[in-house]
Amino acid sequence: MATILQGLQFYPGDSFIHRLDPRAKLLISTTFLLITLIYVEVTVTTIIVAAEAFLAAISGTMRRWIKTVYGSIPFIAAVFLMNYLVRMLIPGQPPTQIILYESFAAAYRLIALLASFSIFFLTTTPEEIGMTLTKLRIPYMYVFAFISAIRFTPILAEELQTIMDSQRSRGLELDKGNPLTRLRRYIPILVPLIVNVLRRSYELAEAMEVKCFGASKKRTYLKELKLRPKDLVVMVLALTSIATSIYFKFISPIKIP
Amino acid sequence: MIRFESVEYVYPNGVKALDGIDLEIGDGEIVAIMGENGAGKTTLIKHLNGLLKPVKGRVLIDGVDTRNVTVASLSKKVGIVFQNPDDMFFSESVWEEVAFALRNFGYDEEVVRRRVENAINFMDLAGYADKSPFTLSGGEKKRLALAIVLAWSPDIIALDEPTIGQDMLQKEKLLQVIKLLNSQGKTVIISSHDVEFIADLKPRIVLMKRGRVVADGDAEEIFLNEELLRSCNLLPPQLITLSKRLDFIGIKPRLYPPRELAAEIMTRFRR
Repeated sequence: MATILQGLQFYPGDSFIHRLDPRAKLLISTTFLLITLIYVEVTVTTIIVAAEAFLAAISGTMRRWIKTVYGSIPFIAAVFLMNYLVRMLIPGQPPTQIILYESFAAAYRLIALLASFSIFFLTTTPEEIGMTLTKLRIPYMYVFAFISAIRFTPILAEELQTIMDSQRSRGLELDKGNPLTRLRRYIPILVPLIVNVLRRSYELAEAMEVKCFGASKKRTYLKELKLRPKDLVVMVLALTSIATSIYFKFISPIKIP
Repeated sequence: MIRFESVEYVYPNGVKALDGIDLEIGDGEIVAIMGENGAGKTTLIKHLNGLLKPVKGRVLIDGVDTRNVTVASLSKKVGIVFQNPDDMFFSESVWEEVAFALRNFGYDEEVVRRRVENAINFMDLAGYADKSPFTLSGGEKKRLALAIVLAWSPDIIALDEPTIGQDMLQKEKLLQVIKLLNSQGKTVIISSHDVEFIADLKPRIVLMKRGRVVADGDAEEIFLNEELLRSCNLLPPQLITLSKRLDFIGIKPRLYPPRELAAEIMTRFRR
C-alpha cells in the first residue's frame, strides 16, 4: 500500500516531461487510459506499458514508477485469480488455456491503467494539478479537496509505516497465518490510520476556515498555465493516437492480434 | 547488553540516517540519546528491536544479531514507546489496548489479566480501564503507551521523545517511573532533546549529529561543554548556566541538584 502511495507523489526533476504543461501530461495519461480500455489485446497493452516505461525513463522517475507497478502486484494477482476462478465456475466457457490467457490480459491491462497516471502524478506538482483542474472548470472547492488528498499522500504513507512499526513492536505479525487471519491482523493498522486521517481532516478544515477559505469566488494564480508549441505538439500526438486506436478498433478491417 | 558495531542505515529515499555507529549499552544503564531533529535518534531506537536492520554493520541484543530474528521475538526483550501514542490505539477500551501485546506474545488469559491490572495501576490508569483510549487526554495517552510496554516487562525499555506535550507534573511522574524501572534492573534508553528533563535524570548521554555519535559521557561532562551542545542545536540546562554565571561568588560550574545549588548560594551569602 505504502509503495503504491509513493508512486502517486510528485518527484522533483527538470526533464522534458516535468517541463510539459500539466494539461498535455494529463492528455498523455488519458490517452494511455483510453487505449487500454478500448483494446483487450496483449500486444496493445505491451505497447502501452512500453511507452509508459519510456516516458518514466526520460522523466527520471523509472525507479518510482516501477515501485507503483510492484506495489500493485497483490491487486493484479487478485484480479487474475478472480477472473480465472469465476470463469472456471461458469459452464460453457472456452478451454482453460484461453481462460488463463484472458485472465492474464485483464490483469496486464490493470498494470497499464495504474501505471498511466503514475507518470502524471510523479512529474506534476499538486499546484499544477490544481491549476489544470481549475482550467477544466471544476469548482475550486473540489479541486482543493483533491489536491489536499494528493498533498497528504506522503504524510499518509509515512504515518502508515509508523503505525505498522508501533504495532509490530507490540508483537503483531502481519505475515503469519491463513489469508483470513492476516486480513484480521490489519485491523490494528487500519483503525489508527483512519482515526488519524479523520483528525487531520478536521484540523485542516478548521485551518482553512480561519484563513477564510471560500470567501472570494474569483481566484487568481501567481503562475498562469500557458500552452507552448511543444505542449501543442504533444497534445496533437496524443489525440492522433486516440483517433488511430478508435479507427483500427471499430472501423478498419485490419485486426490487431 | 546492547552493541552497535559500525552500524550504517540509509532510508529508501537515500538519506543516510546512521553513519558508522559504534555503541555499547550495559544492562541496567540509563542512557539518553540526544541531538537535534534529524540527528538519527529515532532511527537508532528502531534498530533496537529490528524494525530497521542495518545496511552495514550489526546490532547485537544480548549477543543476538537483530538481522537474524523477527521483530516480534526481539520486542519481548526490547519495548519501544513511540513518540505519538495515537499511532498505536485501536481497541475499544484501555484494558483491551494493554492486553493486545500480551496476547500477541502468547501469555495465558490469567497472566494477561494480572499483568494488565498491574500495568494500569502502576501508571495511574485504573479509573480509565473501561474507557476508550481515544477519549483520554494527551498526558493520559502517553501514560497508556508506557503501560502497554510495561505490561510485558521487557528488559530494555526505549522511550522516543517521552516529554513532548507533557506538563511539568507528568514529566515529574515520568522521571519517577524511569528511576523505578532502573532500580528494578531495566535498561532505559531515552531519545530526547529536552535538556531540563535529562538533566534531572543525570544519565549517560550519547550525543548525535547527522547520524554520528559526536560525544558519549556522563550528563555533567556533556552539559558543561556548551560549544558541543550548541553544535548539536542544544542549550545547556538552566542549572548549569546559572552555576556558570555564579562563578564570581566562588560556585564551581557543575550540574547541581536545585536544592544543593540553593544551599551553595545561601552559604556564600551568609559568609
